[in-house]
Amino acid sequence: MAAKVENATSYENTRLADYTYDNSIERGSVDVPFAMLTLLLLAVGVVMVLSASFARAYYDPSSETGGNATYYFVRQALFALCGIGVMFVCSRFPMSFYRHISGIVMLVSLALLTLVLVPGIGEKVNGARRWINLGFTTFQPSEIAKIGVIMFFAVLICRFKDKMNTPKYGIVPFAAVLGVVCLLLVLEPHMSAIIIILAIGLVMLFLGGLPLYWFIGGGTIGAALMGIGYALFPYVRDRFTAWLNPFADASDAGYQIVQSLYSIGSGGLLGLGLGNSRQKYLYLPEEHNDFIFSVVCEELGFIGAILILALFAMLIIRGYWLSMHVRDRYSALVGAGITTHLAMQVILNVAVCTNSVPCTGISLPLFSYGGTALLLQMAELGIILSLSRDIPEKR
Amino acid sequence: MFRKRRENATPDSQNSMMLRRTLFLMTVCGIVAFILLGARLFQLQILDHDMYESAAVEQQLRQTNVPAKRGTIYDRNMNILAMSASVSNIYISPAEIVMYDEDPALIASGLSSILEMDYAEIFEKTTHTESWYTTIARKVEDDVADRVRAFKEENDLLGVKIEEASKRYYPYGSLACHVVGFVGSDDHGLSGLEFYYDDLLSGVDGRIVRATNAYGTDMLFTDFEDYYDAEDGKSIVLTIDETVQYYLENHLETAAEQYDLQDGAAGIVMDVNTGGVLGMASLGGFDLNDYLTISEEAQQRVNSADVHSEEERNTLLEAERQEQWRNKALSDTYEPGSVFKIITLAAGLESGAVTTSSTFYCGGSIDVLGRTDPLNCANIYGHGNLTLQEAAMYSCNVAFVTIGLWVGAERFYDFVRAFGLFDKTGLDLTGESGSLWWSEDVFFNKGNLSQLAAASFGQTFTITPMQLITAVSAVTNGGYLLEPYFVKEVINADGTVASQREPKVIRQVISEQTSKTCCDILEHVVGEKDGTGVNAYVPGYRVAGKTGTSEDVVYEATHGEKKYICSFLGFAPADDPQVAVLVLLENPGPDSIVGASGGQMAAPTVGAVLRDVLPYLGVDPVYGEGEEALVDQRVPRLVGKTPQEAEALLKEAGFTLKSTVGSGAAVTAQMPAANARVAAGSEIVLYCGEEPDTEPVTVPDLLGLSYEVARVRAGMYGLYVRGEGTMMESDYILTVDQSVEEGQLVAPGTVITVTLSDWTKTGIF
Repeated sequence: MAAKVENATSYENTRLADYTYDNSIERGSVDVPFAMLTLLLLAVGVVMVLSASFARAYYDPSSETGGNATYYFVRQALFALCGIGVMFVCSRFPMSFYRHISGIVMLVSLALLTLVLVPGIGEKVNGARRWINLGFTTFQPSEIAKIGVIMFFAVLICRFKDKMNTPKYGIVPFAAVLGVVCLLLVLEPHMSAIIIILAIGLVMLFLGGLPLYWFIGGGTIGAALMGIGYALFPYVRDRFTAWLNPFADASDAGYQIVQSLYSIGSGGLLGLGLGNSRQKYLYLPEEHNDFIFSVVCEELGFIGAILILALFAMLIIRGYWLSMHVRDRYSALVGAGITTHLAMQVILNVAVCTNSVPCTGISLPLFSYGGTALLLQMAELGIILSLSRDIPEKR
Repeated sequence: MFRKRRENATPDSQNSMMLRRTLFLMTVCGIVAFILLGARLFQLQILDHDMYESAAVEQQLRQTNVPAKRGTIYDRNMNILAMSASVSNIYISPAEIVMYDEDPALIASGLSSILEMDYAEIFEKTTHTESWYTTIARKVEDDVADRVRAFKEENDLLGVKIEEASKRYYPYGSLACHVVGFVGSDDHGLSGLEFYYDDLLSGVDGRIVRATNAYGTDMLFTDFEDYYDAEDGKSIVLTIDETVQYYLENHLETAAEQYDLQDGAAGIVMDVNTGGVLGMASLGGFDLNDYLTISEEAQQRVNSADVHSEEERNTLLEAERQEQWRNKALSDTYEPGSVFKIITLAAGLESGAVTTSSTFYCGGSIDVLGRTDPLNCANIYGHGNLTLQEAAMYSCNVAFVTIGLWVGAERFYDFVRAFGLFDKTGLDLTGESGSLWWSEDVFFNKGNLSQLAAASFGQTFTITPMQLITAVSAVTNGGYLLEPYFVKEVINADGTVASQREPKVIRQVISEQTSKTCCDILEHVVGEKDGTGVNAYVPGYRVAGKTGTSEDVVYEATHGEKKYICSFLGFAPADDPQVAVLVLLENPGPDSIVGASGGQMAAPTVGAVLRDVLPYLGVDPVYGEGEEALVDQRVPRLVGKTPQEAEALLKEAGFTLKSTVGSGAAVTAQMPAANARVAAGSEIVLYCGEEPDTEPVTVPDLLGLSYEVARVRAGMYGLYVRGEGTMMESDYILTVDQSVEEGQLVAPGTVITVTLSDWTKTGIF
């Protein structure tokens, strides 16, 4: 059965013939605009980590920084350099390689998601077991799971092709994978990762050709589930209340949001200038992490924030553009999936900082402090660069 | 249909669908979402910018107070009555102790030994590692703070901090406590002048506004700091004289002891020509440095009170505190009684109703229109025919009722008003009570003159002691009613004079001539043996004044026992009044050495105050004939002189030689010792080569004797006396108290102070 499907892919699909699989054509060069946008945002991001983090690094006596103001910056800069290398390496592998390892990545993701639940391997922080400590750094298996879902779904969609509009192929396998991943994430628990992974999965199915009525039905069920969640879990209700009126409890539930709004609001048109944020002096929590964009807004003002958002928008548009132009279906799906992942993170992070959606912990790609997360982001972007090399040059 | 769909799902159509869907995602995720986010940012950063910025600035800026130094309170001679000294608060920053890896045990042991505190308590405080500010000790002295500083530097401790603060000191403790007042823990006045002049004394605190991080410490790399300088408080110079105040308090205390006063005493010394208050005291004082602590007796009353709960006990304690903080001289009102006759006298003379040649007849009582019973005089047998001067000397009620009736209700009322007895005096101190008088309708009733009659000798209305002495000062100083005051000068923090107070004349109430006549008449009250105020007599000084004995009628009605306020208002010198003294002694008890009356108790107290205060103020004594013999003399230094020389010196000083022991060529010892003050005429023993006798002698009973007899009697035992109280030649002036009780063993040559008093001056006058 599997072989038959494989054959069908190889010979029936004429337009999206799998060149990379055959390795029959010479690969072109990477997409320069995409690479440049990535490096530019990474550079700005690292600088912002320095600006945002030094107060915390200097003052917080209970942290691992030991009062070294550049502690976070140095680590982030080192990871950024490694990240550039990772991106370069990832851009060298052919897409066929990724296609081959897709299933393995998924299995490894599931294994890690299971491992992290084991006490002693997974580190418990604030009541959630999300991190695996490697000694020199820590990482979240959920980050790997995101790319795993993208790659594995792309493979499945390529395999099922025109059967995607039937529930048996279009829904069941995907739902099974998402179900297992989400179950493991619930056990951690890790709400924001569930949101991102569900969104990525849905987008993959959407791109894979699942008829729209499934989404309409799914959307209805999703809304209903959210309603139930709102009714059942008080902490969800609290999140909503804090979202709707953060100032009602500005010292506790609404603290993060209020401080973020103070930062963004006091930036004004031109901002206080790079390095001059006042809110980062321990008022704003997670200032070099989930709320780094608030510091950007405070220091660089409306103009600077819009410029950075514009760079992100261009990067995202370029990502989709590349996905649309690549001639291989797997590459197109992976490219669009990764781009969507990037877009989701950026949009949700900024939306949380500006209190446009209820607060949840989502980091800003290329900006937020976090070594392994950054390396994985760079790997994802490297994959897009890899597929960009398969796009025939215009004559 | 099914085939058709299958056909539609060709690779091409599939590809175009994927393109469409990717394009859709690109539009949503790459454009629409970012436009929405941009709009949101525009709202937050541009439209609501001001709101968020001010809210953020409010939490980022921290104001630090730079406390202004509180001004000093000086007495008139620039003695410091209240001052602020800089002290330090010691605190630690547990967070920084962790941050800089400092040893909490070292810090706790170091601080506990320097500050004499519990080690465990301090160590416990270092464990609150989230805190950046934990107080260890407040208001420690500079030397202790210096030792903490040394400890901090020696061990290079950044987590130990020292902060400037200030503390109020009252060098004289309880002296003038009700006038000076005290400050609370916030360094702001709670009572007395500290409260009244709080704005002036406290100055304006400065501020440092700076940007801080959420822990309250400085923001790095931000130099946002604004200074607003503190304006130090001004200092005030009082009219209060520390020495006068001391004399006043001292003699009030003596009176309280001798007369067994149950409800304390109050006194005021006033400069009659300026209205400046030289002294003001209420017995039952307290230490300003420790104003919450009540006296031992009061504490015992609280402890032994039969109460059901701690709360009730605290209520009692609080009541006792309020009692000790009460400034009776200003806040208590009373019926002034006969002292008020000074005002009636002045009104009678000024209105022309009486003259110095007016005569009265006292048959022991007088019928007053509107009264069912006749109004009795203190002397129920009647004083007989009296001149105006005699009426004052004997404090005859009948005569003064007559004067009041002659003046008439309306005119009398006008004088009361003119003397300021309806209004508060305007003294610059809080707590002044108002007076209580009959309304005009009642007082002016033509068919009932009993109110006017009673008011003529100081009854049926209440005023404060302050009002009375202010009004009487006007009688003595030429007729000018002055506004009394405490603060004569305000000094800026840099030492320059900010303002000086000039005496403020409210109005002239009586003519200078009337004033002079009044002083003249009142001098006889004290200066004549028959005068009721004779016990206030001070040899060499022309003291004038008036006695008063008020009964607390309300107390008698409710408690069934009599309660007196014995008072006396004296001033001197009568020919040029400088200073007035009013003393109120409340509720003499059964253990009093003399009977309850103003003339018997308050007059000697005022006399004692004047005897100390007048020489201190530079008023020279002018002795009349034989008066000098009544004054104690200082024994000259005779050691080293020949016996002949010594004898001559003794004669010169007003002493006689009792005997010369030994036959040496020079005096080797004398009894009593040189510079001792003893009664004039005392017999001195000289030793020429012999050792003086040291065998203790038993003190004899010296009570009930005239001064001379007491001196001779003491001399028989080898003891000496000096006199206090009424030093005047009179058959009725006898010793009523001796400083060393009968039967005690003392060294030979000891000087015993005897108190003399005219024991006949007992009565309600």
